[in-house]
Amino acid sequence: MTRYAMVMDQRRCIGCQSCTVACRTWNELPMDIIYNPVVSEGVLGEFPEVHQTFTPLICMHCDNPPCTICCPCKASQQDEDGIVWVDETKCMGCKVCVNSCPYGARDVNHDEGFVRKCTFCKDRVREGEQPYCVATCHQKARIFGDLDDPESDVSKLVNRLVTERFFEELGTDPQVYYIPDLGGVK
Amino acid sequence: MSETVDIHAPDVEVKKSCCYFCHQNCGVLAYVKDGKVIKIEGDPTHPTNQGGLCCRGNIALLHLDHPARINHPLKRTGAKGENKWEKIPWDVAIAEIAEKLNQIKAESGAEAVATAGGTLRTDDWSRRRFMNMFGSPNGFHNALLCWIPTFMMETAVGGWSPFETDLATSRCVILWGFNPGSSAMPGMRGYSDLRKAGLKIIVVDPRYSETAAHADLWLPLRPGSDTALALAMIWVIIYEGHHDKEFVENWCTGFEELEDHIFEYNPEWAAEQTWLDPELIRQAARMYAQNTPGNIQWGCTADQLGKTAGAGMHARAILRALTGNLDRPGGDLMPGPSMYYVTDEELEGNDWLPEEQKAKQIGSDKFKLTSWPGYQRIADVSREVWGKAPTAEWMCEAHGPSVFKAILTGDPYQIRAMIISATNPVNSYGDAKMVLEALKQLEFLVVCEYWMTPAALYADYVMPIAGALERPIVHNNYGVTDSLITSQRAIQPLYERHTDYNFWRDLALATGQDPDQWPWETLEEAFYYVIYSFNSSGYQFSSYDEFVEKYRMFYPPLHYYKYGNNGFATPSRKVELKSSILEELGYPSLPTWIGPAENEVDDPEVAAEYPLVLTTGGGFMPYHHSEQFNIESVRFLKSDPYFTINPKKAAELGIKEGDWCWIETRRGRIRQRANVEPSVDTRVIYCQRGWWYPERQEDTGAEPFGCLESNVNVLTSVDDEHCDPIGGSWANRGLLCKVYKVSYWDETDTSYSIPGSASEPGVSVPPSEQKLAYEPIPYDPKPTFEVPEGLTWDKDTKLAWDIERGLAYDPNSGWLYHPETLIYYDLVTKYAYDPETETLIDEATGQRYSMETREPIGEGEAVKTTAAEAVAAEELAAKEAAAAEAAAEAVIITPTDIERGEQS
Repeated sequence: MTRYAMVMDQRRCIGCQSCTVACRTWNELPMDIIYNPVVSEGVLGEFPEVHQTFTPLICMHCDNPPCTICCPCKASQQDEDGIVWVDETKCMGCKVCVNSCPYGARDVNHDEGFVRKCTFCKDRVREGEQPYCVATCHQKARIFGDLDDPESDVSKLVNRLVTERFFEELGTDPQVYYIPDLGGVK
Repeated sequence: MSETVDIHAPDVEVKKSCCYFCHQNCGVLAYVKDGKVIKIEGDPTHPTNQGGLCCRGNIALLHLDHPARINHPLKRTGAKGENKWEKIPWDVAIAEIAEKLNQIKAESGAEAVATAGGTLRTDDWSRRRFMNMFGSPNGFHNALLCWIPTFMMETAVGGWSPFETDLATSRCVILWGFNPGSSAMPGMRGYSDLRKAGLKIIVVDPRYSETAAHADLWLPLRPGSDTALALAMIWVIIYEGHHDKEFVENWCTGFEELEDHIFEYNPEWAAEQTWLDPELIRQAARMYAQNTPGNIQWGCTADQLGKTAGAGMHARAILRALTGNLDRPGGDLMPGPSMYYVTDEELEGNDWLPEEQKAKQIGSDKFKLTSWPGYQRIADVSREVWGKAPTAEWMCEAHGPSVFKAILTGDPYQIRAMIISATNPVNSYGDAKMVLEALKQLEFLVVCEYWMTPAALYADYVMPIAGALERPIVHNNYGVTDSLITSQRAIQPLYERHTDYNFWRDLALATGQDPDQWPWETLEEAFYYVIYSFNSSGYQFSSYDEFVEKYRMFYPPLHYYKYGNNGFATPSRKVELKSSILEELGYPSLPTWIGPAENEVDDPEVAAEYPLVLTTGGGFMPYHHSEQFNIESVRFLKSDPYFTINPKKAAELGIKEGDWCWIETRRGRIRQRANVEPSVDTRVIYCQRGWWYPERQEDTGAEPFGCLESNVNVLTSVDDEHCDPIGGSWANRGLLCKVYKVSYWDETDTSYSIPGSASEPGVSVPPSEQKLAYEPIPYDPKPTFEVPEGLTWDKDTKLAWDIERGLAYDPNSGWLYHPETLIYYDLVTKYAYDPETETLIDEATGQRYSMETREPIGEGEAVKTTAAEAVAAEELAAKEAAAAEAAAEAVIITPTDIERGEQS
């Protein structure tokens, strides 16, 4: 089985937002839709003992995605390899999934009347390439691959290093893992 | 992949293009279908970016056909700055521009035409070639703020700038005012990888930058005080004995003088200037000196310190040498000029520019290292040792701010015309108000641009220029390294756009320059000429595009310790810690402290009114200089300008996050919004540079497109006394300022005037009366030998002369010699030495004398008397032949060269 997942290495992310721009140009998104913003609490501490961490966000492609369960027209769906996507021909733009997603990973395309979201660039991935945000990251702070393959970079990182996931307590089982800035070996 | 575009379709071509939005030139794969670029992505096989692309790189397609791009030549129809244009054909525009330039040249001399360039966005060897043949020495870039003074200083001290860091086996690197985290993305990845593998990283930056966050040691110094830090680090290394004694002993001159000179610059002294703990300075010096091999990465801070810059660059050059890091594995490599391909300098044709025109270069009487006097000296030595000279474009230019002053004052002479290519001087040169005024007053202005910028608005002609995807690009670090990376054009230029090379070529031909000297119709042909010699070293290609597709890059075999062969390319062939070239040019030969342009120690009165220290130089994502502000997909990330202020200081001044504030120096004020963050010291203000508002296209008044409103260069000064007398750079860092909130009442003020002390744009003191930060030190070399009686010491040639007969004294042999015939003469009797018969001849009478006794020999033998003359005649003939040969070589492009290029 293949289970696609992404690792965000916060030790390497410098907050350049290249992924934000790259994703939007590659996927030709309208100006009001961002699939992967990079957020930060800013510089914390007291000069010169300061620190800053950047957190790139993206659809978590959960193993238990609330957005597919709630979809009344089965447009929001998950493939066997874990990729959650919206079939635009079926979507009627009811926005239930937008509200159900705890990660705010879905946007409405107001011009066309359906919901859009990150697809892990499934067309690229199934051609054997990396999602575009991963390919474009100069810092190699994004790592993508098959979590079920013990030889893949993602599975090595997730199994060896301390990683965090967002809102695990909600039971969504998100498949984007964060290596914290001051993390370490398990 | 986008749903609408299939990049894998059979009719889609993949072109190996590259990004052109900063110096990195990351590789880009452009997918082209039916002559249109349908998609781009980072090239995973490119050595620089390995597939990565930043915000700027990713918007190449949006840049290519952006609705605001200039697509046709525009001729001004209204008044200057009125933004009224008519589209005219390219050839017509070129012909009209050429006619005007020729008219100005005939009336006022070629030097009345100046050109300004941008930063590696063009092939400026072609501009230099045009200017040299046209006869004007007044081309310039913003080079003085960007590494060029450092390059020239390091070349003067060590024979070439050791800028290529051999990081893979290095143990410690200093990133000095260099923030790859926002200006060199691919580099930052490398540092993260290497640090994980054990590389020590020292970051010198007043701000907690993306790079400082990844440092082993961060030195948050007072902006502008870098020179003091460098001097104190030398002190620690020398007095704690961390220097590489063997290297210093064998390969450096002036160490003892340096040791004495540096004595007063101890860490405690530097602590006052830099605000750093003396222990931290010691720790940094030890970390750098004990972890060899190590590097100091190039960064532009040293160039942007104003009057203190020269000493700082010199001190850093000394640090590299003291630690023995020069040209060794893991150290700072000195690539030297390329012996494998035609260098930029060889394409520039500097021999065409007559000596009397070189002497007219504006600023060359003041800032000598980076103009003809210093460049000529360095280039001569460089040719002797390396065989080729550094690029003259960038390294040997007119002083930009002085050219703008000359437009306003006619001092030293009137600049009547200017061609600006790929730069917006209003935002990128110091004293923006003055620059804007100069552009308004200029008689004739041509701007080569992508966009309608504040500078282009005042042009008589605006010429549309091809961008990254529309042109081939050769990346070779300003032409001063021995490797290169090539890229091809994805498509031919759209609309009536041309490459800047074609602009200069067309203009050259229209002004009447010899077409034989411009044999290449396209850039590909020119680049093929540059690289065709690779064909003889195992590469096989018959066109530039073929080289790009098959090989893409050229890296010659890496050689360390090259100085072991011919020595360092300095007059003494050693690293001159005490620089003889600086001494000859009239500068301190050892790095001597002089405070930053404005500082609280030297100018307490200024500091009382302007208590905060300003830094304006740092680059920040997603912009590069003053570019990309008009591309919505980038602009949304940072839509307003922000300055950074420490929360404690902000609270004291009643400033909250996001408040619009004035930042004011003695020169003017600008507004930016507050970013309240503890990333800077409470005494420091960090401003974002480059800001203008291209969206205000209707705003074409006195201050078009809001170009002064948030522009940090309103705050900087280019007065001669604030510039570095050595390299001419002005201060972007370490200026004194104050900050206060924008109030309701001053919303309507012109943004740049200061209430109560409004200063009008312009130049108050004529340039010729402006003082330098320090007076030149008269260069008066004393003879190193005893001058025999009757001879005269000449300091220019450093020789003793028998003036009457034009003979020079050779202190080694104790004989006189004629500098041209090289015949030796007896010091006392002035008889010539004849090596054939080993006798002396009195040239006047033909009488021979014995070498031993100086007694006459036999009767004057008429045949042999002429022996010395025969030698002389022979020498002369040989000299003439050599001169003729040299003259033949001076014509760089001969028809045979071209044929050879096409055949091979």
